Amino acid sequence: MLTISGLFAGYGSGDVLRGVNLTVQDGSITCVVGPNGAGKSTLLKVVSGLLRPRVGSVTFRGAEIGGATPRKILECGIVQVMQSRNLFPELTVRENVELGGFLLRDASAVRARIATVTEQFPIVGERAGERAGQLSGGQQRMVEFARALMLDPALVVLDEPSMGLEPRAAAMMYDSIRQMRDNGRTILLVEQNVRVGLGLADHGVVMETGRVRLEGTGAEILANPQMRALYLGGTIEEGEVPAGDRGR
Amino acid sequence: MLVLQAIIDGILVGGFYALMAGGLTLVFGVMEIVNFAQGIMVVLGAYLSYALFSHLSIDPFLSLVITMPGMFLIGVAVYWSMIKPIKQDRVIMSLLVMFAVGTIAEGILDLVFTSNLVQISTPYVNNSFTIGSLIFPDIYVYAFLMSVVLLAGVYYLLYRTRFGRSLRASMQNPTAARLVGINTDWVSAYTLGIGVAMAAAGGMVFGLTNSFDAASSYDLISRLLAIVIFGGFGSLSGALIASVLMLVIQDVVAVVWSPTWGQTTFYVILILILLVRPQGLLGRKAVRAQ
Repeated sequence: MLTISGLFAGYGSGDVLRGVNLTVQDGSITCVVGPNGAGKSTLLKVVSGLLRPRVGSVTFRGAEIGGATPRKILECGIVQVMQSRNLFPELTVRENVELGGFLLRDASAVRARIATVTEQFPIVGERAGERAGQLSGGQQRMVEFARALMLDPALVVLDEPSMGLEPRAAAMMYDSIRQMRDNGRTILLVEQNVRVGLGLADHGVVMETGRVRLEGTGAEILANPQMRALYLGGTIEEGEVPAGDRGR
Repeated sequence: MLVLQAIIDGILVGGFYALMAGGLTLVFGVMEIVNFAQGIMVVLGAYLSYALFSHLSIDPFLSLVITMPGMFLIGVAVYWSMIKPIKQDRVIMSLLVMFAVGTIAEGILDLVFTSNLVQISTPYVNNSFTIGSLIFPDIYVYAFLMSVVLLAGVYYLLYRTRFGRSLRASMQNPTAARLVGINTDWVSAYTLGIGVAMAAAGGMVFGLTNSFDAASSYDLISRLLAIVIFGGFGSLSGALIASVLMLVIQDVVAVVWSPTWGQTTFYVILILILLVRPQGLLGRKAVRAQ
């Protein structure tokens, strides 16, 4: 569904991503993990159009989307939920969710989508008139998810959705991600909680210093001894990647 | 009774100051730039209405049908030609760009209209009516009503339209706004256009009630900045309240104490309020997501 090839991107004069290759399969959850500075969030910014690639390609369902505007990428069926502060705090919950359907010109279509996402995320109906900034972190996440689904996207890109959530809210959030996948959506997830993220994923990817170092099922990666080295401050040498893993 | 008259005068004049300051605060809210050219844009609006009245006998209020759309386009053009191309240090560079725009505009106005003071002198400019012993100058009442209508229009635009929702979203969280498909560049361009168009309306009244030249912009921008700081950068309601308060304070102090202390008193109150509330009356700096 989404294919990233030889991707270089960064800020100022430096490259954060240095030749990333990655494929996200249709209907799967792909979880990207890695230490701080690995380039995970930068990768998502390129996918959602917030950052232009310098070299390489990003294709979605066969069409090149690298360098397209966020609006164009939304129209293709990709929506991103950022790491934090996604909502418009002074707008109501309802207004926030309506803005998720900003590209829909037909008011009745917006209302129909709101009804659909409200079924999945009841908080949208329960707190419709309240300012989004007054909700708790977990509640805000649910509203963000509801807003993300307003355009009925094929691919949902989530950047560290558990950040700042207390355990119960995080568990609810993970359930929602599973539910999205079960409803046929594809999920590209960056997660700081490696164990939970990879446990949730159909496919796991480990990034380090702007490159993909390991790939495999979540269980395979969790079992890989190099992961321990990576998270204890070591690095994964290209040559050390086991043949069974599809390191790049 | 003199104090009541001063309060009424302050409210009436504060109305059109709110128009001018509203444009400034709206631009800051969306783009995070202080439009230093707003003062000269007000003067440009005054000159345009003056020229249309002097040469074509078009009533200044009617001239807004021409000057407001024209100055809206100037604002949009300034955004695309000068603000959008800035790639680095956008906030600081935008300040310099707007300062440059103001300086260039001042030079052109000086060249075209010379530095002689002018005033738009319509037949009704000195008319007034009384209610009891209170005097209501026609021109201030018209200007106040026009300001109410225009500000109501801006509020309608902000809170009842799709564009307004995208504008408010862009003010609060520009990155998230882009991620829901809002073209924040066009929102910024239109916002600068609206801000400058509001200056056109304010400028027309300024030209009717004051003699002016291009250098009048310096006094204007300092007053407008004081209003916007007092009301809170980015808050339209704050600008409205601060405009009225500033003018009422000035007029009341002028009556009960001395005209010399009118403006000084306002600035002292401004400083005292900022000590307690640095973000101004209704400032929203703390809630903006980066």
